[in-house]
Amino acid sequence: MTMSPTGPPAAGARTGAGNGAHIVDRGFQRYEGPRAGVPQAIGSVAWQSMRATLGLGRPARHKIFPVIAIAIAYVPAIVFVGLSVLISDLLDPNEIADYASYYGFITAAILLFAGLVAPEVLVGDRRNGMLALYLSTPLHRGTYLVAKGIAVLATLAMVTLGPPLLLLIGYTFANVGPDGLGDWLVVLLRIFVSAFAVSGALTAISMAASSITDRRAFASIGVILLALATPAVASALVDGAELSANWRLIDVFSMPFELVFRIFGESGSFPELSTLNIMLVNAGWVIGGLAVVALRYSRMVVAR
Amino acid sequence: MPAIIETTGLVMQFASTRALESLDLRVPSGVTGLVGANGAGKTTLISITLGLLKPTSGSIKVLGLDPSSNGPELRARIGYGPERNVLPDDMRAYDFVRHFAQIKGLPRDEARSRASDSLYLVGLGEERFRALGTMSTGQRQRVKLAQAIAADPSFIVLDEPTDGLDPVQRDEMLSIIVDVNRKFGIDVMLSSHVLEEVERICDHVVALDAGRLVAQGTMAELAGASGGVEVELVDIADRPGSIDDVERRLAGAGLNVRRTVFTLAVSGRPDEELFDAIAQSVAASGARVRRLGPRRRSLDDVFTADIHAATTQHAGGVS
Repeated sequence: MTMSPTGPPAAGARTGAGNGAHIVDRGFQRYEGPRAGVPQAIGSVAWQSMRATLGLGRPARHKIFPVIAIAIAYVPAIVFVGLSVLISDLLDPNEIADYASYYGFITAAILLFAGLVAPEVLVGDRRNGMLALYLSTPLHRGTYLVAKGIAVLATLAMVTLGPPLLLLIGYTFANVGPDGLGDWLVVLLRIFVSAFAVSGALTAISMAASSITDRRAFASIGVILLALATPAVASALVDGAELSANWRLIDVFSMPFELVFRIFGESGSFPELSTLNIMLVNAGWVIGGLAVVALRYSRMVVAR
Repeated sequence: MPAIIETTGLVMQFASTRALESLDLRVPSGVTGLVGANGAGKTTLISITLGLLKPTSGSIKVLGLDPSSNGPELRARIGYGPERNVLPDDMRAYDFVRHFAQIKGLPRDEARSRASDSLYLVGLGEERFRALGTMSTGQRQRVKLAQAIAADPSFIVLDEPTDGLDPVQRDEMLSIIVDVNRKFGIDVMLSSHVLEEVERICDHVVALDAGRLVAQGTMAELAGASGGVEVELVDIADRPGSIDDVERRLAGAGLNVRRTVFTLAVSGRPDEELFDAIAQSVAASGARVRRLGPRRRSLDDVFTADIHAATTQHAGGVS
């Protein structure tokens, strides 16, 4: 049964030259089967947002930025693993880059991604009206933001989780990795917790910036400025004005990485700060950032 | 006939603007036209129907559910084609439609096949893998319709679906919308400011003006209401001025007469009296009649008259 003059061949239409083969195209018809709920909707939006951010299924120009950021994040890991494989006999295990300090090599990639991803994921939907279209589906504002948050978190994890994992696997094969399965699993767990901590803080901050402005460029610049300015301000307050060392906690960009050192049991760049304070300030950034996003979206009038 | 949308005393207040004023309406199954000028409240009503806005007071049921409290469940059963050009330029039509079918709960394989089926239905089967940014306005309107129907909703809301289309594209789009309702039983509410297209395809009309309901009913009910009598006269060379004479006599009898070349639209009394008055005037003037019959009101007439009546009533009520 053809449903449209422009539709596919009629159902049961037979093609081929008498060999019994035929193509059945049922055309548009009612759907009586099962329907998934909101979790699938969240997954679908998160996956599509990730694809769009990475430029997948889009013209080449949209792939340039993500490819550069990913290259910056992975190339050092590949070099370190290569060196450990090729000249492992000459290397002192203490001299190869460890998992916590590796983030120091990829700060630029993480910053680039943090400044790019959330604005791409959030701002566009508000500007072009896709937000109203998304909210006309089973998603509401909360579940929509969860989907977008997952997309940002997962995309950032590509540069915060992938390279340390590559290091772990590479070092393991080069016999310079953790000793024994127990240690190996502990390092693996620390890598996951660290990546989640860094990505979580940057996701919340970049989503907050992206919820404030409807200009993608402003949001990106805001994130990058925040990341560059707060370390300078913190340094000026502590080193210049000789205020309490705790003023370093306002350094929004360094604190997630400082937490990574503590997760790996190292003292990090700011040994004068307590681990508890570092944890609290990171949690504060996450909660504060998400609160800004929730507030902005709850007050937003979305019509059509 | 079960109601698709039913509102009671629906009010929407935005700061100092009252967008909807105590709206009591009932939208039955079929194709319903939501008409009104810019600022009439169409957008607000659509947004409340979809659960995007919560009304200030009053109640609304869509498919028997309250959009405010049953939003996700309800919206899984509603398709929506927005007016704005929301389609991402660099996404393929097929990917866009499939994505939204999945969001509305269809399993992945089903979403894939239904995305293709929907795009075939709207006439874009061969174009489905083209980037949306390379498509014409007409094609993009069709993609929005395909997106709205792909997840097999019970009810679709189309906001100005023919906006930006040329006459041929408009006819095609209206034909597809009618097919969606007649062949697949999907109820449709479309907003439009083009009364002619609403008159052509809609079974039911809801007319809003300044947030107030000015008319609702089936096209037959609205257009069937007496529009008076229309008489077309023949211009005869040996009786010059006979049409002018008929017009003068009818007007002199206290009737409303509107002339268009050889046709007189007469109203102001029950149709039987109008027929008698016309017969007497024509006989007295020696004119000849080519056509005589009740005048069917166009939606334009209905809309204009009802807005005038509602405005007068409102002004009277206020004062």
